[in-house]
Amino acid sequence: MLRFLALRLARAAFTIILVVTFAFVVLRMSGDPALIIMSPDAPQEAIEAFRHAWGLDQPIWIQYFDYFGAIFHGELGQSFRDGRPALELVAERIPATLILTIPALLLKVGVGIPAGIHAALHRNSTTDRLVMAGAVAGFTVPSFVLGLLLVLLFSVQLGWLPSGGQESWRSMILPVITLGFGGAGVLARFTRSAMLEVLGQPYIRTASAKGVPWHRVVRFHALPNAAIPTITIVGFMVGSLIAGAVVVESVFSWPGVGRLLVVAVSNRDLAVVQCILLLVATTMVTSNLIVDLLYGVLDPRLRAGAGAH
Amino acid sequence: MKITRRAALGAATATTAVATLPRFAIAQTDQRPSITVAVQKISNSGVLEPLREQSSNVSERWVASILETPIARNQQGQLERVPGIATGWKRISDTTVELALRPGVKFHNGDELTAEDVAFSFGPEHMFGASLPTDIPPIAKRHWPALARVEVVDRHTVRFINTTLDVTMEGRLSAGGSEIVSKRAWLEQGDWAANARKPVGTGPYKLREFKPDNSLILDAHDDYWGGRPPVKSVRFLEVPEASSRIAGLQSGEFDFACDIPPDQISQIERDPKLVVQGGLVLNHRIVAFDHHHPQLANPLVRLAMAHAVDGQAIVDALWAGRTKVPAGLQWEFYGDMFVKGWAVPKFDPDAARSLLKQAGYKGDEIVYRARNDYYTAENATAQILVEFWKQVGLNVRLEIKENWGQVLDKAGPRGLRDWSNSAVFDDPVSSLVNQHGPNGAQQANGEWSNAEMNTLSVALETGTDMARRKAAFARMLQICERDDPAYIVLHQNAVFTAHRKNSPWRAPPSFFMDFSKQAWRA
Repeated sequence: MLRFLALRLARAAFTIILVVTFAFVVLRMSGDPALIIMSPDAPQEAIEAFRHAWGLDQPIWIQYFDYFGAIFHGELGQSFRDGRPALELVAERIPATLILTIPALLLKVGVGIPAGIHAALHRNSTTDRLVMAGAVAGFTVPSFVLGLLLVLLFSVQLGWLPSGGQESWRSMILPVITLGFGGAGVLARFTRSAMLEVLGQPYIRTASAKGVPWHRVVRFHALPNAAIPTITIVGFMVGSLIAGAVVVESVFSWPGVGRLLVVAVSNRDLAVVQCILLLVATTMVTSNLIVDLLYGVLDPRLRAGAGAH
Repeated sequence: MKITRRAALGAATATTAVATLPRFAIAQTDQRPSITVAVQKISNSGVLEPLREQSSNVSERWVASILETPIARNQQGQLERVPGIATGWKRISDTTVELALRPGVKFHNGDELTAEDVAFSFGPEHMFGASLPTDIPPIAKRHWPALARVEVVDRHTVRFINTTLDVTMEGRLSAGGSEIVSKRAWLEQGDWAANARKPVGTGPYKLREFKPDNSLILDAHDDYWGGRPPVKSVRFLEVPEASSRIAGLQSGEFDFACDIPPDQISQIERDPKLVVQGGLVLNHRIVAFDHHHPQLANPLVRLAMAHAVDGQAIVDALWAGRTKVPAGLQWEFYGDMFVKGWAVPKFDPDAARSLLKQAGYKGDEIVYRARNDYYTAENATAQILVEFWKQVGLNVRLEIKENWGQVLDKAGPRGLRDWSNSAVFDDPVSSLVNQHGPNGAQQANGEWSNAEMNTLSVALETGTDMARRKAAFARMLQICERDDPAYIVLHQNAVFTAHRKNSPWRAPPSFFMDFSKQAWRA
């Protein structure tokens, strides 16, 4: 088990280093923060002074090693824009994002999984077709389109809900639905497929033939075996809690991490982007690690396999 | 004394009433509205300091509500200079301007503005010192290239002394970069960053809260020298998507929506509760040349490109005729310096073809870099321009770039690029010299230069004979728009703001969201 954990932790660290390096190279090669933040109309002397102050006039490999050196000392850098610590900027946006993404995750799980199970248990019925039609709509309609449609209907036409901002709990409703709808569709689809595959297995027939009541067959034989693909998807969703609402936050002018990421990328505010990416990568890797461990809990064969190595 | 339950209840009720009444009465007296203004962007730099926040189309929305320049602009007129916190100004010599400051002007912290605050605002702690972020002094230097010192004469008199002759000093005193801050507040807040996030000025509205990339909330500064502001509080909300700004306005969440694309105006005006205001601002859309590009080294090719452009067609097609093709890179706002009779090269495809033939142009590719709708209708304008040039035989390839760094990147061929130019104050020094002169961005970026233009720029900056200055300016237009083209002027820019009809607001001829008594005529 320790070897299993160590391998996954090493892989996680490697993934984070790759993500941060890739972001550093792409951002630094595709725009000059001094020109972006100060505008090209600023005096050349001011632009040069800005570059010098932030070390942007150094060769890129020196900037890269300086950045990594700072990370290992626990320094995530400061925003080029106002000099505030990047971690502080990101940390103050996290609650705003989580109050959207956590209810949205509950919505995805609470609607998607039961809908998928129901559709599988009533395969080819009208309910199955309706659920699948909703699921396909959920994951094919882009969130910015759905968001705008909801705004047009509930804000502009009916005047029931705010179209954006973070004014009260009512402001959360449309973004949460927009985020949750697509994810619920994905989960419903995966859960249905997994359930259908499991329901066709010999052990399900055996259990039924032995006279086990159908609801017990579903609960104790089908659901645990169908859970693995579903848990994988839920793991991804948990991993994207921090920065999984980039588009929705922009559509609804929600002041969360997603909006901060968009602004920081467009300004090439490297420290802030890297800080968000580190958080996202860490969350994603942690979530994947938990999913890996859950696989072992759900399927003893995987535990045995890890131990055998 | 026996206290009955009824008596106790009565006393409690009376006490509550007495304690509540004054507040209720105060609330009743303040009938002013609180409004929400949806803007595309509040601040590019994440701070509220005009010397860092250089983008006029972003920061101009709110700066003058918080911070004032010594000489004001008539926002409900033609932006001409009017008394503000300075009631009068006079020339003591060619290099010195004396200001008489208005007594009784209060900062947002309650202090009275004095000459000391004005001198401090132009001093080392705020503009030119080594303790500031290193980019601030060069920006201050651009606003005030030859300022020697600011001298306090008495509590309400101050002198601006230049090292060189400069007829534009009064203009600079009314322009961005000359805002007055409270000396005490600045020193108490400590460092530049703290002050840049929480400026304390004399404007009609004071800062309550600023959340970068989200919102800016201002409260009425009831001790404002110009009288009690008509709006109780103004909340600027950052809503990047135009469709979201319009939806919020239609649903009643926002009172104002800024940066309305021209093609959305008629749809908004179908709603009887809404109206769109706005119009021309002191900013022209231009396309700038890099004359180092092999095909553009010959000025005839650049002039041909100018003749191939039908600016009026762009105005009609993309702006529904709500703006105009101006008389070159100048504005009537310049007053006597405006060169009457000057015009951009006329749309003449035959002349363009003839010039290309003279230049020996063989159809080699010219790269044109634009940004993704950074300017209103920028993508569509760029595509139309490419078609205009194609019609006369020019082979122009459009490259859409994400940011200015990519637009100005010297790696790879650099031919033309999108840009704009503003009249920061009422003299061509503020626009033509500022962007295209020897210290302007076009020359600093290594895109274009012209020796005669540079000599004339110095003459324009330091000359005092207005007739000679005007002649120099006319010659500079001739160089930059005909003889050795630096840019093509496409059209004047316009800005549109949608709002609820019941807001008695009048849009100024600028980007400023003016909520002064003059603009709000309830």
